[in-house]
Amino acid sequence: MLSFENAPPFAAPLRFFLTAPLFSLAAGLLLLAGGPDLLASRWTPGLLATTHLITIGFMLMVMLGALIQILPVVAGVNLGNPLRVARWVHVGLALGTLSLAGGFLLGQPELLSAAALILGLTVAAFLAVTGYALLNVPSTSPTIRGIKLALLGLAGGVGLGVTLALAVAHGWAIPLATLTDLHAGWALGAWAGVLLAAMAFVVVPMFQLTPGYPARPGWLFPGVMLGLMLAWALSAYFDSVLAIRLIQGLTALLGMAFLLQTLRLQMQRRRARADATYRYWQLGLASAIFALFMLLTATLWPSLGELDGWSQFAGILLLVGGFMPFIVGMLYKIVPFLAWLHLQNHARPGLPVPNMNKILPGVDMQRQLWMHGVALVLLLAAVIQPDWLTRPAGAALALASGWLFYNLLGAALRYRQHLEEAARQAAAA
Amino acid sequence: MTHPKTPHVVDARYMEPPEPFVQTMEMLDTLKAGEKMLLMLFREPHPLYKVLRQNGYTYETELLADGTFEILIWR
Repeated sequence: MLSFENAPPFAAPLRFFLTAPLFSLAAGLLLLAGGPDLLASRWTPGLLATTHLITIGFMLMVMLGALIQILPVVAGVNLGNPLRVARWVHVGLALGTLSLAGGFLLGQPELLSAAALILGLTVAAFLAVTGYALLNVPSTSPTIRGIKLALLGLAGGVGLGVTLALAVAHGWAIPLATLTDLHAGWALGAWAGVLLAAMAFVVVPMFQLTPGYPARPGWLFPGVMLGLMLAWALSAYFDSVLAIRLIQGLTALLGMAFLLQTLRLQMQRRRARADATYRYWQLGLASAIFALFMLLTATLWPSLGELDGWSQFAGILLLVGGFMPFIVGMLYKIVPFLAWLHLQNHARPGLPVPNMNKILPGVDMQRQLWMHGVALVLLLAAVIQPDWLTRPAGAALALASGWLFYNLLGAALRYRQHLEEAARQAAAA
Repeated sequence: MTHPKTPHVVDARYMEPPEPFVQTMEMLDTLKAGEKMLLMLFREPHPLYKVLRQNGYTYETELLADGTFEILIWR
C-alpha cells in the first residue's frame, strides 16, 4: 500500500496551478489591447506590466505552489499547516501581481507601493515558513541544497524588486537600469534558475527515464550561481561596468552548461514515446540556450545589446520560450499524478481509480503545446514586425494560456467527479 | 543482480513511480533476519524513508559521482 498521508491536500497546490494560466492569459490580453507601442522598449509601462504578469503571476505562482507540495517528497520536510500557508500565499501573490501590473499601466504610485508591500510581505512569510521547516534539514542531496540556496535567491530578487517599485513610486534617486538588471539576475538566475535545476535533478530522470545528473556539478551549480549574483551586486555597488559584463557572461555560460547537460541526458532517455512534457522541455532547452547565447553575445559586444528589440527578443525567448515551457511541462506530469495519488486513498471495489491519461488526456496536452509554440513564434516575430504582429501574438498567448487553464481545470473536475462518486458509493454501502 | 554491499538489489534507476517503492517493499518482505537490501535510484526517496522508519528499518544513503543514490536498508 502506498503511504502518502504526509502529502499536503491537493487543494493546497491546485489553487496556484489553476490561477497561474489566468495571469499569462491577462498578459496576452494586455498585448492584444496595447498593440505595437507596448514592445517599443523593455521600459514601456505596458511591457513591464506584461513581464510581471508572467514572471510573478505565472512563474512565481506555480513555483511557490509546487514547493508547498513537493517539499515533503524531495526534502522530507512538512510545513506545519500547508493549506493555510497556501491560502495566504496564493491570495497575496494574486493581489500583489494585480497591483503591480495596475501600478505600471496606470502610473499610479499608490498601487506600486501597495504591490511592493503585499508581495514583500507574502514572500517574506513564505520564506519564514519554509526557511524554518528547512532549518534543521541536512543537505543530503543537490536538490535540498539547491532549494535552500534558491530561497536566498528569492529573498534577493524580491528584495530588489520591492526596492525598485518603491523607488519608481516615490521618485527615489537610484540607478534604476543597473538595479533592474541585478533584480532580473537574482530573480531569474539565483531563484528561478537554481530552483529549476534543483527540481530537474529529480524530475528529469524520474519522468523522462534519463540517467541522473552527475553529483559534483549538481552540487556546485547553486552555490556558484549565488556567488555570481553576490559578485554582480558588489560590482553594481562599485559601479564597475566591466565587472558586471564579465559576471553576466559567466552567468550565461553557467546557465548554458546546465541546459546542455539536461539536453545530453534527454538524448539518453529510455522512454521512446515523446510525450508533451518531453516536447515542452525540448522547446524550453532550445529557447533558453538561444536566449543565454544572446546574453553572452551582448556582454562581448555591448553595442549588439543596444540594438532595437534585442532585449525584448531575448526576454521573450527566456520567459515564454524557456521558463514557461519547463513549468507547463512539469505541471502536465504533476497535476495528473497528484490527482491519481489522492484518488488512491478513495479507491473502492467496483470504482477503479482512473489512470492518469484519463484524468488529463495526452492529446489535449499536445494540442495546447502547439498553441504555445505558435504564440512563441508570433511574439518573437512581433519584436521584428510589431505593427502587424503584436496583437496576433497577444491573442495567441491568451489562447495558449486559456487552453492550459481548460486542460488543468478538466483534470481537477474529473478528480472531483471521482471523489463525489466514491463518496456516494460509500454512503450507499 | 548483485552488488558488493549485498546480493539483494533493486536497481530502480530507470523505473517509473511508484514501481521503485513497490519493488522495495516486496523485496523487504523476502529478507531473512540479518540480511540487507540495496535500492539504487537517481533521487532520494523521502516518502520511502518515512515508511521505513515507521516500520523499524534502518537505512544508509550514499551519493555516487554519476548521481546514483545507493540506499542500504536493514532491520
